[in-house]
Amino acid sequence: MQSDAATTTAPKRVLCIEDEHFISELYTRALTRAGYQVDVQLDGQKGLAVAQTDMYDIILLDLMIPNITGIEVLRTLRDPAKTPKMHAKIIITTNLEQREDIRADIEQQADGYLVKAEITPKELVEFLSHLDI
Amino acid sequence: MGYFQSFIRQFRARLIVIIFVNNALIVADWYIVDRVVKLTGLWSLIVITAIPLITIGVVPWLSTKVLVQPTKFLWQAILHIAPHNTEDMGTPKLDQLHLGRELVTNLINQVYQLASVVQDVEQSNIKTKLDLHTNFVASSLPLPLLVLDKEENIIYANEATGKYLGKPADELTGQSVYTALDMSFLSDDTLSSWIKASQGKSATAEHKWERVRIGLPGQGDSLLFDLAGYYNQDNPLGYETLLVLFDHTEEYAQDDQAMSFVALSVHELRTPLTLLRGYIEVFDEELGPTLNPELKEFMKKMNASAQQLASFVDNILNVAKIEDNQLTLQLHEEDWKKLVENVVEDLNLRAGVRGITIKTDIADDLPTVGVDRYSIYEVLANLLDNAIKYSKGTNEIYVTTNINKDGLVETSVKDFGLGIDGSILPHIFDKFYRNHRNRAQIGGTGLGLYLSRSIVDAHGGQISVNSKVNEGSTFTFTVLPFTKIAEAGKTGNNPSITRNAHGWIKNHSLYRD
Repeated sequence: MQSDAATTTAPKRVLCIEDEHFISELYTRALTRAGYQVDVQLDGQKGLAVAQTDMYDIILLDLMIPNITGIEVLRTLRDPAKTPKMHAKIIITTNLEQREDIRADIEQQADGYLVKAEITPKELVEFLSHLDI
Repeated sequence: MGYFQSFIRQFRARLIVIIFVNNALIVADWYIVDRVVKLTGLWSLIVITAIPLITIGVVPWLSTKVLVQPTKFLWQAILHIAPHNTEDMGTPKLDQLHLGRELVTNLINQVYQLASVVQDVEQSNIKTKLDLHTNFVASSLPLPLLVLDKEENIIYANEATGKYLGKPADELTGQSVYTALDMSFLSDDTLSSWIKASQGKSATAEHKWERVRIGLPGQGDSLLFDLAGYYNQDNPLGYETLLVLFDHTEEYAQDDQAMSFVALSVHELRTPLTLLRGYIEVFDEELGPTLNPELKEFMKKMNASAQQLASFVDNILNVAKIEDNQLTLQLHEEDWKKLVENVVEDLNLRAGVRGITIKTDIADDLPTVGVDRYSIYEVLANLLDNAIKYSKGTNEIYVTTNINKDGLVETSVKDFGLGIDGSILPHIFDKFYRNHRNRAQIGGTGLGLYLSRSIVDAHGGQISVNSKVNEGSTFTFTVLPFTKIAEAGKTGNNPSITRNAHGWIKNHSLYRD
């Protein structure tokens, strides 16, 4: 079960900013098996710093993370004054229902939005394989 | 002075005539008695005395009528305009006046002028008093009070209104009430529909609304008010509509907290649910081939149960969102066939573990539809989930889609199971409604159909049910072809159209019929 996108060239790199250890473990397992190279960050602040290095093709961003909210991470990454333009696609992964105003922000700035309880790891891999990277 | 002088002359002339005639009568009387009839003695004395006596009776009587006439006309004129007079003297008829007509006409005009000045002063006094009164009462009223004119523009807002909206009250004056107050109503019984209805037919009307949500400009927050309106078509000051608002935000928030608590708790289920579904998938994929058929079947059932739990959690959270006015639809152009097949595929697992097959019959010539794919997914998933739950031993469910006679895309979900009793059919789309007969046998929260109806309504479609006990039920709903939606929202070239879910209809919203 290797993804085509991940095997033809160098493996795609995924940053998973997620504080729920069991979830990141499951995602890492599925993504690694599909040929991605996965790094996990449990902390928002550290996750942001790592994301800003622009080493990743895909960033999976949880919204409830320690120290700084996922929304703030998203806004910082998409703010030209704070982060130089990076090539990574940002996918919000959350189990939290969003207030309308926040949802509008997400729709404008993120490249995808997934409710974790509604997808299995395999469906996540399937979703990412359709991303244009 | 000229009128007065000529009046004196006329008066004098008439007096002279009267006195002359009187004296002439007496002289003539004496002459006739003494020289013509030649009466003597007691008879002459009687007749000579009688004539003056008669003139004493008649002449003053006749002359008074003439001499007093001007005074009488003046008296009439004054009484006519006197404010507290109840005696009706009639209006003076100046053309019947001969003595001093100019003077009296002039005097009467003066009287009328004076009277009108007095009236003006009085009226302006009343107005000042009225203004002072309204201002005093309205500004000390702690409740927001608004006065609207015929165009539904604000002509007065008291200080309390300004305080709630966070801006000076006089800034609101002149604005349309719908611009100033971002109001959402529980149903299509809105302020504008009420005013419109009242303008058509009644002179005065009263109305009350509960749970009107008023958004605060520039802030994400909103307050919940009860709203009372009084309409008076013929208000002399142009105050056509009066609105008073009662802030019930806290009371209503407490009601809502019950739902929020459920939503919050349910929320906590999502993380373990995510994990369960992840582990089940891993086990299914990696252990599946090694398992015996019975265990394989268990694995499937476990997966189906986890899926069902996930959709249950979604339902609860979506209802909470509707209650909180947070469910917003993004209508996009979608391929309906694909969407339906997608839902059926997802539900097949749940149907399969109960031995049920979902059969589809989707017309080929369907137009693209304008839907929020996530919300409409829930509708079809809920209807299918119900059909699976209530199939009771039967093993087929039909999903059919075609274009109905109104040009709408119509989709039906038909099962052959328990069916629904006619007496409860009208209530099954109500919130928390459950068929009590089935409550013990079949689980559920009674939210699925309520949610489905809310979502279909918000799409501009309709949902209905046909059912017979022990023969099964058919749920049918419509969605609009994208071209119709795009027509309704012709505001520009925005590819998507945003709508609020059922329950909160924006006043003067673009999409209301």
